[in-house]
Order: sequence, then C-alpha cells, then structure tokens
Amino acid sequence: MGRYDVLVIGGGIVGLTAAIASAGQNARVLIVDAGINAGSNANAGSLHVQLQSRFIRLYPDQAPNVEASLPLYLQAVREWERLDALFGSFDLVRKGGLMLAEGEDQLRFLEMKARREEARGLSVEILDRRQLDALAPWLGPQIMGAELCRDEGKLNPLAANVRLRAEARRLGVEFLSDQVVSLHVDGAVVRAKGQGGQVHAAKQAVVAAAWGSGPLLKGWGPPVPSRAEPLHMNITEPGEVRINHLIQHAERSITLKQFGTGQIVIGGGWAAHDRGNASVPSVLAASMLGNVALAARLVPSISRLRVLRTWAGMNTTVDGKTVIGRLPAAPNIIVAVPGDAGYTLGPLVGRAAAEIAAGQPPSFEIANYGPSRFAA
Amino acid sequence: MAREPIVHFDGMSIPIKAGQSLAAALTAAGQRTFRETSKGSSRGIFCGMGICQDCLVTVDGAPNQRACMTLAHDGMQVSTQVALAPLMDAPPLDRAPPSRQISPDVLVIGGGIGGLNAAIAAAQAGAQVVLLDERKVPGGQYLKQSAVADEPLDVQQAEGQKLVSAARAAGVEMTGGVEVWGAFDGLLFLAEHQGGALVIRPRKVIVATGAYERPRMTPGWTLPGVMTTGAAQTLWRSYRTLPGKRVAIFGTGPLNIQVALELAQGGAEVAAVGEAASKPTRNIASGIALIKANATLALKGVMMLAGLRHRRIPIHYEANLVGVEQVDGRLAVTYRDSSGTHQTIVDALCMNDGFEPQNEILRLLGAEMAYDQDFGHLRCRRGETMETTVEGLYAVGDCAGLGGAPAAAVEGRIAGRAAAASCRDEALGDISGLHAQLRRHRAFQSALWRMHSPAPRTLTEALDETIVCRCEEVTLGELRQSLTDKPGHAGTMKRATRAGMGRCQGRYCGPVVARLVAEETGQPLRDHSYFAPRVPIKPISIAAILAAQEALDGQI
Ligand SMILES: Cc1cc2nc3c(=O)[nH]c(=O)nc-3n(C[C@H](O)[C@H](O)[C@H](O)COP(=O)(O)OP(=O)(O)OC[C@H]3O[C@@H](n4cnc5c(N)ncnc54)[C@H](O)[C@@H]3O)c2cc1C
Ligand SMILES: Cc1cc2nc3c(=O)[nH]c(=O)nc-3n(C[C@H](O)[C@H](O)[C@H](O)COP(=O)(O)OP(=O)(O)OC[C@H]3O[C@@H](n4cnc5c(N)ncnc54)[C@H](O)[C@@H]3O)c2cc1C
Ligand code: FES
Repeated sequence: MGRYDVLVIGGGIVGLTAAIASAGQNARVLIVDAGINAGSNANAGSLHVQLQSRFIRLYPDQAPNVEASLPLYLQAVREWERLDALFGSFDLVRKGGLMLAEGEDQLRFLEMKARREEARGLSVEILDRRQLDALAPWLGPQIMGAELCRDEGKLNPLAANVRLRAEARRLGVEFLSDQVVSLHVDGAVVRAKGQGGQVHAAKQAVVAAAWGSGPLLKGWGPPVPSRAEPLHMNITEPGEVRINHLIQHAERSITLKQFGTGQIVIGGGWAAHDRGNASVPSVLAASMLGNVALAARLVPSISRLRVLRTWAGMNTTVDGKTVIGRLPAAPNIIVAVPGDAGYTLGPLVGRAAAEIAAGQPPSFEIANYGPSRFAA
Repeated sequence: MAREPIVHFDGMSIPIKAGQSLAAALTAAGQRTFRETSKGSSRGIFCGMGICQDCLVTVDGAPNQRACMTLAHDGMQVSTQVALAPLMDAPPLDRAPPSRQISPDVLVIGGGIGGLNAAIAAAQAGAQVVLLDERKVPGGQYLKQSAVADEPLDVQQAEGQKLVSAARAAGVEMTGGVEVWGAFDGLLFLAEHQGGALVIRPRKVIVATGAYERPRMTPGWTLPGVMTTGAAQTLWRSYRTLPGKRVAIFGTGPLNIQVALELAQGGAEVAAVGEAASKPTRNIASGIALIKANATLALKGVMMLAGLRHRRIPIHYEANLVGVEQVDGRLAVTYRDSSGTHQTIVDALCMNDGFEPQNEILRLLGAEMAYDQDFGHLRCRRGETMETTVEGLYAVGDCAGLGGAPAAAVEGRIAGRAAAASCRDEALGDISGLHAQLRRHRAFQSALWRMHSPAPRTLTEALDETIVCRCEEVTLGELRQSLTDKPGHAGTMKRATRAGMGRCQGRYCGPVVARLVAEETGQPLRDHSYFAPRVPIKPISIAAILAAQEALDGQI
C-alpha cells in the first residue's frame, strides 16, 4: 500500500487546488510535478467568462463546446472569489470585461454573441461609444462600441500561485519533482513510474498534467487529445492605475489589463515558438510586434509606458471543453484537464477532481465532460 | 549678454553645460533624488550607464526618462519621477524620424574598445560596417570620451579619440543614441533611434556590449548618493562633474583605485578606499606575474598606488562595507577592516565589486555559455575567430566574460577580420600574431585579478534587511524565506518573490538569486541557472514597438 490517498500528477492550478481540496478532507496527498512549462506559471490572470473571439475565429470547430461550457466559467469565477476570500489576497478584481468593436459588422457580431451568452445566464450589455467613454475614456477614437460582460475579472496569478502553494504545504501536501512516464494499476493501488525509475503509489491518481496528460494516458482507453500551444505575453512598467476592465477585441486576438501594481499585461493568444519540453518556448518577433502594436492602437494612452519583458509559456487546448472524470478503463485514475481559459477554470476543475476522488458529488454536473467522449 | 543655459527641476533652475547629461547637471547642482519608488523610497543615479533605471525623471511631460542617458537642453522641464506615471498618448509617429531598414555586411553592437576595433578591422577588410551604441558619447567604458570638453583628459581618452576617428576614416557608419532592444533568430535586430525604428538584418554580427558593475549589496546601497564606481567615473570623464565633494570608494579591483585617483585629481576629497583583497605586498607571486606579462601596465598600476599615497588617500585592505545611512543629507558609511569597524561621512559612496558581462544578446540568440568559477559569471564559448556557437554571431570584449580593455581590442581585431572574410567567402589570413598578443593580455589580466578578489562575495553573513532586488525592493530575508520552499530554479524564486521583475530586468539580483538557488540545490551553475533571457533587452516604449511594427508591416 502507498502512503498516499491521492497522487496528483501535475502541480499547476488544477493539481494545486485538487490537492488543497483533498488534503482539506484529511487525505494524504503527494503532488508529482515535472517542473516544466506549466501554463499556470505563464498565464496572464484574466478571468474569462464571455466567449473569446479567438476561439470563434481560430478554432470554429471548438466554439460550440466553449459556448456550452459558459455556465461553467461563471461558476469558476465564483470559485476563485471563494479561494481569494479564504487564502488571498490574489488582487482579484471583478469589474467586468469589455470586448471592443472597431466597425459596424463587429458590433453586430457582438450583439449576436451577447444574445447567445445572455441565454446561458451571463450578465452582458452592448455599449455605444458614449456609454463606453464613461467607463473607459482612454480607448482609441476608432472604437465604436463594446460588449460589457460584468462577470469577468482579473487577478494576479503569481500571488495566487504562491498563496495556494503555501496553503497546500500548510495542509501537509507533499511536493516532489519528477516526470511521470507511465501509470500502472494494481488492484486498489495506482503506481506512477517516474523518469528515474522511482515509483509513486497511492490509492487514486489525479492526472492534472495539462499537455502531458494525453501522452501519459496513452493506452488507457480513448486518447485524450491534449495539445500544447505555446503562447506569448508582454508586460509594461507600472503606470497610473486607470484600466479596470479586462479588454478584448471582437475579431482580433488580444487581452489587455492592468494589475494592481500598475503594470499593463498584454497577451491574448499570440504564438510563441515551441522548443520541445526540455526548454520554455521562445518569443517570436512577429508576435511581440503584432500584439503590442494592436494594444497601442486600441489603448493609445499606454504608448508612453515601456515594455519591461515578454515571455512565452505552454497553454493546453483539448476540444473546447474541460475533461474531468474517472477513466472507464481504470476508475482509480481521474483526469482533470481544464481546457480553454484553463486558469479561470482551474480551481473549479481541481475541486471537482478532489470531490470525485472522495466519492462525493462534484460541484458541477460532469456527465458531459468525461474522458469517454473521445471514443471514436 | 546671453543667459546661462538652465533646466528647470521641480521648480528650481539648474545651470547646465553644453553636452552634459541631465544626471550630471543635477548632480553638479547637488540634486541626488531623481525618482520615488512605489514603496516611497528615493532613488538617484546608480549605474550611470542606462541599466539600473533608478535615475528616471519626467522630461517635458515624457515619463520615465533615464537622466544618465538624456542630454540636458536649455529650458527643459524636468521633474522627479513619481512611481506611477500618468497614462498619456505618445506624440504621433510622424513626428519621429522615419524608420530605416538596413542589411549591412557586419553589424557591430557596442562602440567600446572591442566594438571600435572590430568595426575598423572589418571595414578595412572591405566589409560594409554599421556600428550602433546606446550612448551618445562614443568609446564605451574604457575609452569614454568627453561630452563637454574638446581636449582629452589623458592618454586613455586621447587613444579613444584616435580610435573613433579611425573608425570614421575606415568608412564605418557609426550611430550613437541607438538602443538595440530586440535580437531574434536568423539575425534580426530591432532598435530605437530618437523615437524611430531601426531594423537591421546583417550578414554577420559582432556583439561588443561590454560589462556592467557588480554592486556590494549592503543595507543602504539603494540610497541616493550611492553609485557604482563606473557611474562616478562617467560623471567625471565624460561630463567633468564630481559625484560629490567628499567620496568613499569600496569593493574590489583596479577600477576603484583608478577612479579614486581620477576623482582626487579632479578636486574631490577621497575619504577612504576599501579593497576586499589583502594587501598586494602579501601577494608577491602575482606581482611578479604582472610585471612579466606587461611591464608598462604593471608600472601604471604602481604609479596609481603611489599617486594615492602621495595624496594621503588611505587604502584599507580586507575592507568590507557594513552599511550606509543618510545623515543630514550626507551619507554615513560604516565599514570593517582588520583594524576594526569605522565610520566616515561623505557626499557620495562609490562601489564596484567586480563585473558582470552584458551577455543578454548572446544568451537570447542561444550562444553556448559556461560558468567561470573564478569570476562568478558566465563566459561565452568561442572559437579562434571569436565566433560563438551560433553561426555568424561573434562576441568580443567583456560581454563574453571579463577580459579587460587590451584583450577586448585584440578580440575585436580578430572578429572584425574574420567576419569580413566570411562575408566574402575569403580565407582568413594569418592571425597567429593577434593570438600571441591576446595570450599576453589575458595573462596580465589573470595576474591582475589574482591581486583582487573577483569572485562574488557570499551573502552568508549579510543581514536579512539587505535589499537584493533594487527595483522591486525585495530583501535578502524574503529570498531566504522563499528558499525554504525549495524553488529549484531562479525563475521560480522570481515568481514567488518578484525579485528580478523590475525595470533593470534582474541584472543586479539575478546572479545572486541564481547562486542562492544553486547553493540550496547543490547543482553547479550554468547558463540555464539564470533568469531566462527575453526581449526586450532594455525596457522599450510601446510607441517604439509600434514604430517597428509599422516599419516591418507584415514582413516577418
Ligand atoms: C501565456 C499564457 C497565458 C494564459 N493566460 C490565461 C488567462 O489569462 N486566463 C486563463 O484562464 N487561462 C490562461 N492561460 C491558460 C492557463 O494558463 C492554463 O490553461 C492553465 O494554467 C492550465 O492549468 P493546469 O493545472 O491544467 O496545467 P499547467 O499549469 O499547465 O500544469 C501542468 C503541469 O503538469 C506537469 N506535467 C506534465 N506532464 C507531466 C508528467 N508526465 N509528470 C509530471 N508532471 C507533468 C507540467 O510540468 C506542469 O507543471 C494562459 C496560458 C498561457 C500559456
Ligand atoms: C563602468 C566601467 C568602467 C570601467 N573603467 C575602466 C577604466 O577606467 N580603466 C580600465 O582599464 N578598465 C575599465 N573598465 C573595464 C574596461 O572598460 C573593459 O574591459 C573594456 O571597456 C571592455 O570593452 P568592451 O568593448 O568589451 O565594452 P565597453 O567599453 O563597455 O563598451 C560596450 C558598449 O556597448 C554599448 N551597449 C551595450 N548594450 C547595448 C545595446 N543593447 N544597444 C546598444 N549599445 C549597447 C554600451 O553603451 C557601451 O558603449 C571599466 C568597465 C566598466 C563596466
Ligand atoms: S543611473 Fe541611469 S540607468 Fe542607472
């Protein structure tokens, strides 16, 4: 028998919150993490709720799945607020998100999108330029209007990660640095074999390994199509704090927001260059120029600030929907991959994984999110 | 009669000299505080070379301008930089000079002794050469020129003047005030010049970006009035401005001795010079090695020591700073040596505890590095021609690892010739003579540094309250605390503590964080141990990035 009740593979936001929820119920938990390319270490802290235009544009095939998951995003933001109150502060601000339109057709698109989102329970509204000026007077003159989604927000992921890690330690969660190469089930025990041959055993395993999940679960039923997606980010020096909202665009890839430190964070899905899993992705000139120039056109009053740094990290996409549930082929292995805007979804998915492990009904209806959906 | 030129600083009128930097003009007028941090502390000039970002001021409405890199003009409105600059639009792009795209045979980045020699050699071998430097004053550190006087100060400055003229005569296109902020695979470089974009796609590039100074982290080292020895030297050599009336200089290495003498000759009262190493008379073997390697330079060193003795400026050996405090607008400097603990009151404290290579461009482009235990920094792996492990990328001078000015010059000549030959697919002639010179210079350097103590000092005994990350004001205590969480990598500690996240991009705290983590994990240091290299190489305005994007519009 292993010393552990729950073995969590992957120490990103999902693994961390799964461990906290399990240990909070007195389970003995070990997190084994490869320490490479965690999206949670690279992400921008946007709390996404409304449909991101990038999915509709880049991955139209995934859009219906994302749309069906909208209520999950709403619930996920509430889960973040709960954690912020318990373990924060994470600098969580929930003043809403603005998706900008630069032309009539973009505004029409947002109106259509808003209707669909309203039907899923989101609090959204279309604003014209005059109404926008009251909220965001610093926008470029070409902006005609925007969709305001009141449910959206932002937080400082660095603060959240540090605080949550400290909480996990306080609860007795153990951390180990290793890459799991294979899983073995031996009756009531799951054994995870590490890179150096070390074996980590527990009664149940939560696979929260993001892009590493698909390869790790190979041979355990229908393949989980997790895909690594290297993404680019930029951050400026601090400026006067005036941008409350999470800013996006109706057609183009961008997120822009201001942290409590006054720094502006610019990202939103521009590509980075994958250099394999041994090193972090590298920054592409085209992404840096394109992403920052777009930000400067939408919000000209940030132009005097200087970009301090860019970075690149590994996002994980699946099919537009979270993957959560026990493996049909091995019920003591639980898969927990949040999917798009995975940092937003992370704590909700992590908590659900812990609830499943404890044999409790999960916080949301998981029937549509199980790994068996990938059966051909 | 014409009015004397002035700048307005927070409502005061500050006289300026033609060619003076804002930092120099303010220092000459006794102004030491330039900016305020978000935690409410005051900062002033520290590095004097554009990297520490603590000399920020608002100039004619434009926030966050480095006073040390900004030329003072009559009538300029300057104010203390507040922590959070107001958001405001940039002037329209059409007011900036037009963007340029160039594809020279050879691009040289950095116009110090290494870069100038490389550019001259490449141009003389028939290559079309562009040399860019961030500073407005040419010559880099060793040869830095005067911006306010026509007459060179000494032989060293005269040598620089000659080299700059030789570069012009050889047809090198030299531009100052150019910030190279982007370096990408395939040799694409992005730079900013007076608000316009400069896009460079060279066939070969020679990086000659030099070094910056390792500080002595001690409680109070972030106070206005505390600066690097090089910053004080630039104030004096380039702007004929003394850092203060009464100064103290601490750390290790020959630069401290030289600058102590230069400042004294310039009229400063040098209260104390503190050297971490023991007295040279206790190190006779190194002394002999020095004389053997280069008797002229060894003699220059002896003359400097004699000069200090003649002026009754004491050198304290085995001396270490304990702390600095502000007292009545001056600085109380506490230090310890073999005879006990002492205090002296000064206007400025200079510190240099060795050097760190400015290897950002080399690391960004993936050039292989190895850790040099003796100097405590990375050295770039290079072949005979100074080419790095990245094809077409050459490294010369201190950016590849400390080697000193004479070695930088020879490395430059080698790389310049090699890059030019390789551009034209020609065989490189005999360079064995240059290599013989290089060996001699390197032997001198290593003997010289054996008399000092070039390895970074451990922080084992330093107090928790010591600030390690100046920008984010992260203390050693906070870093020690985060070590208990077994971060495993410098980047993890950075994310947990914010050390290295500020405007200087971890140049000062980065090496310390990497060493702390390495001590904890027991792993040897290597390139990967440091913060990951990323663009921009220096903070760059969004307006300048927009200009570059428009210049390239879809071409990448
Ligand atoms: C640049 C960037 C910006 C983003 N911005 C946002 C945003 O603003 N808002 C938002 O909601 N989302 C954002 N995301 C997405 C979000 O970061 C991720 O979806 C989320 O962090 C995923 O969390 P996770 O816990 O599932 O996995 P991760 O945080 O990716 O962690 C997975 C961990 O598993 C480890 N691992 C993998 N394989 C193995 C193995 N075999 N054995 C052991 N360990 C293994 C990895 O090393 C890693 O540490 C962004 C992503 C990127 C890259
Ligand atoms: C502060 C300081 C003072 C020194 N003083 C002395 C002295 O008095 N006597 C002595 O013997 N030795 C001195 N040294 C050591 C000596 O200067 C070096 O050994 C020698 O200058 C090395 O030459 P270099 O060409 O490698 O670099 P440098 O002379 O340092 O020249 C590098 C140049 O590159 C430029 N540069 C760097 N990054 C960029 C960028 N991204 N874009 C554009 N330009 C860039 C810099 O502005 C600089 O002009 C000093 C070193 C320093 C750091
Ligand atoms: S003193 Fe100007 S940047 Fe350091």
